[in-house]
Amino acid sequence: MDNESWACASVEKDLTRVVTKLEQLHENASADIGDIASLMSELVKVLGKAEQMVTTFNSSTQVSATPASGDDPMGDGVSMQVETEPTAPQRLTDRQMGIIREAILKCNERVQKLSTEHRDLHGSISKIGKAIDRNFSADFTSTMRVDVLQDEDNLMLLNKAIAKHYCRQGMDDVARTLIRECKMPEEHAQDVFDSEREFADIYGIWVKIQKRDLTDALKWAKTYSQQLSDRHSLIEFRLHQMRFMQLVSYGLESQREAIAYARLNFKKFAVRYEREIANLMASFIYLPSGLENSPYKLFLGQEMWTELSFIFLKDACQLLGISKNSALSVVVNAGCTALPALLNIKQVMQSRQVLGMWNGCDELPIEIDLQPEFRFHSIFACPILRQQTSEDNPPKKLTCGHVISNDALHKLSNGHILKCPYCPVEQNAEEAVRIYF
Amino acid sequence: MSEIKALEHATLKVPYEMLNKRFRSAQKIIDREVDQVTNVSRQVEKALEAEGPILADVTKLMGNVAQKLQVLKRKAEESIADELSVTQICKRKLEHLKGITPPNSVTGDLWQGSVDQWKRIRLDRLVIEHLLRMGYYETAEELAARSDVRHLTNLDIFQTSREVEDDLANHSTTKCVLWCIDNKSKLRKINSTIEFSLRVQEFIELVRQNQRFEAVKHSRRYFPAYEKTQLNEICHVMALLAYPADTEVEHYRKYMDPQRWQQLVLDFRHENYRLFQLSTTSVFSAAVQAGLSALKTPHCYTQTCRNLNCPVCQEDLNRIALKLPYSHCVQSRLICRVTGMPLNEHNQPMMLPNGQIFGQMALPDITKDDGTVTCPVTNTKFSNPKIEKVFVM
Repeated sequence: MDNESWACASVEKDLTRVVTKLEQLHENASADIGDIASLMSELVKVLGKAEQMVTTFNSSTQVSATPASGDDPMGDGVSMQVETEPTAPQRLTDRQMGIIREAILKCNERVQKLSTEHRDLHGSISKIGKAIDRNFSADFTSTMRVDVLQDEDNLMLLNKAIAKHYCRQGMDDVARTLIRECKMPEEHAQDVFDSEREFADIYGIWVKIQKRDLTDALKWAKTYSQQLSDRHSLIEFRLHQMRFMQLVSYGLESQREAIAYARLNFKKFAVRYEREIANLMASFIYLPSGLENSPYKLFLGQEMWTELSFIFLKDACQLLGISKNSALSVVVNAGCTALPALLNIKQVMQSRQVLGMWNGCDELPIEIDLQPEFRFHSIFACPILRQQTSEDNPPKKLTCGHVISNDALHKLSNGHILKCPYCPVEQNAEEAVRIYF
Repeated sequence: MSEIKALEHATLKVPYEMLNKRFRSAQKIIDREVDQVTNVSRQVEKALEAEGPILADVTKLMGNVAQKLQVLKRKAEESIADELSVTQICKRKLEHLKGITPPNSVTGDLWQGSVDQWKRIRLDRLVIEHLLRMGYYETAEELAARSDVRHLTNLDIFQTSREVEDDLANHSTTKCVLWCIDNKSKLRKINSTIEFSLRVQEFIELVRQNQRFEAVKHSRRYFPAYEKTQLNEICHVMALLAYPADTEVEHYRKYMDPQRWQQLVLDFRHENYRLFQLSTTSVFSAAVQAGLSALKTPHCYTQTCRNLNCPVCQEDLNRIALKLPYSHCVQSRLICRVTGMPLNEHNQPMMLPNGQIFGQMALPDITKDDGTVTCPVTNTKFSNPKIEKVFVM
């Protein structure tokens, strides 16, 4: 966990740096370039005016040379240029030329600066890439010796598993689009919609709880109230508790409603959840100052809702006797646990140049530590040989009750006589019996 | 190595490559506009150097400068805003990766629900990426919309590739050529030959339409650029000029095969991955295989030992997993086949006379009142059998 947050943090640090620089640059572009651009247009305007003035001056010969306004960047310089040569084209004075030169110089400087500053970002940006490469592993492939998902048939089976997974969640339309797009054969497509349908309802309620809508959940809990309490499930009370806090959080105006709700619904939990109910009712004290500043603020966070939805899903699935995870999600989550471990061992094997050892056997090189809920079969590993038993090497129970593998039994026995490695009983090796887990 | 570090490289690398690309095109745009500005400003300077510069001319030139500056300002702002928007994508993805809510401050427990939720989102993300790689764009779009994870996926870059692929599937190279031009420097860096393949295909099409003279022109125009690396191939392709379009000669027929377009689609897909430093297989497919292996036991392939809750025991996944290695195990892990409870000191393993082992807690379930025990695996009945304790180390 720490390691992970550290990896993310280091990328984030470089990213934030780039963002700040970009924002700065964005501002500069607006300010600096905008500045110089408006200076330029101002100059053009003034020059244009000067030009015009000359023409009017020439045609009407009225001397009404009104001086340019106060914010005129060229000030008097412009009004000074008025010359009285009628036909010759107007020429720039030295003063004007000086001002224009200066402006052009400034303009060139600013635009070059923008270009250079932007180019300088390159270093910071590629730092992000390096941070990503350094902290995250790019190569998760070749953790398997064979890639069975190159095979067309297997890919279609995988598509089917995906379709089933989403169908299970009630997303039939997604499943249907997939079936159409991957041109799934009819006999497979049939299967997809045959799978368990009960889960979709539960899943729908689960989604609603996360969106803070408890109506359906409460209805469901009411229907299964008896079974839930038989199983000591907390979920019904937790749902009511959340609904109550939701009402309380609406503020003073829903106070009456909240009290009525509590009186109606908490009665049957009065004995079992005495403390919790007392706790909940005390929340009214904080109502005038707002729950955000009270010990009850926990109830306002999304985590509480996610947690509630999770408990709901778990208990509801248990009650209906269905798995809360689809086959696909079990496999992928197990895979996500396994991959880092496999990558690690691959690196070690590579560095010791023993990668070949992996190729010889049809087992993963290491044990993957999966959660207990992901264990579906008994596995008996012979305590002597540290090896899984198989059809060729089955587990045997010795007369004393200890279990070892057949190969170990032969290695340990001397003729017919076998001494149990765990207790001092000497016995006839022939009397060990094959057992099945 | 943790899960995020091992699996999420692409999640961050793709938006990074996008940022990099935006940066480069922004730099190009800015440089171009800066050039424009300096060009016109140089003209002003030149005009000023002349003997007695004319006011009207200089004013006009200055007007140009002002105008170009405005353009520069607008374009610079736009491009930088573009870059900023990509950094936002990076940021959102980072936030998601960091998103596993910190432990509850009061109890120190992890929020189980949040972890579960995060994993569900991860599954959706992985599936979407897989769908995109398989070319199932509509499903990917629909799923992203339904599960609200669009901002965490790479749908956008695949959207462009979808257009290119559709175009190629319709036997047109236009969009793919544009794509090649767009990514020219990067493609050169990874030594891509995709553009050459496209040019060859264009040549082939001209031959197919019997416009052989056009084909020759085409080859003069595009092939010399590749003479160093692809000379052999060029010679073979040029030889097509000498054969009819429906040639029977195997070597040349393969060029004329319309299937070649399909190959181009795949080639393009592959190059696109390389461009974004995506590996050729998806995380999803690696995870599925590793997961199947980690769950696979010899029991999954023994008819009598199947467990309906086990994914590998289900027919389809069972077939996929056939060639994958089994899980490795050095410590026994025993589960009662009746109750699903672990076998340990609280639930001792017991042996029926036929060698089948069940947990102590399961015995009442399989024993009738008259003392008959029915083995749930073999259906054999035993009346008042001797049930023995076994010891597993």
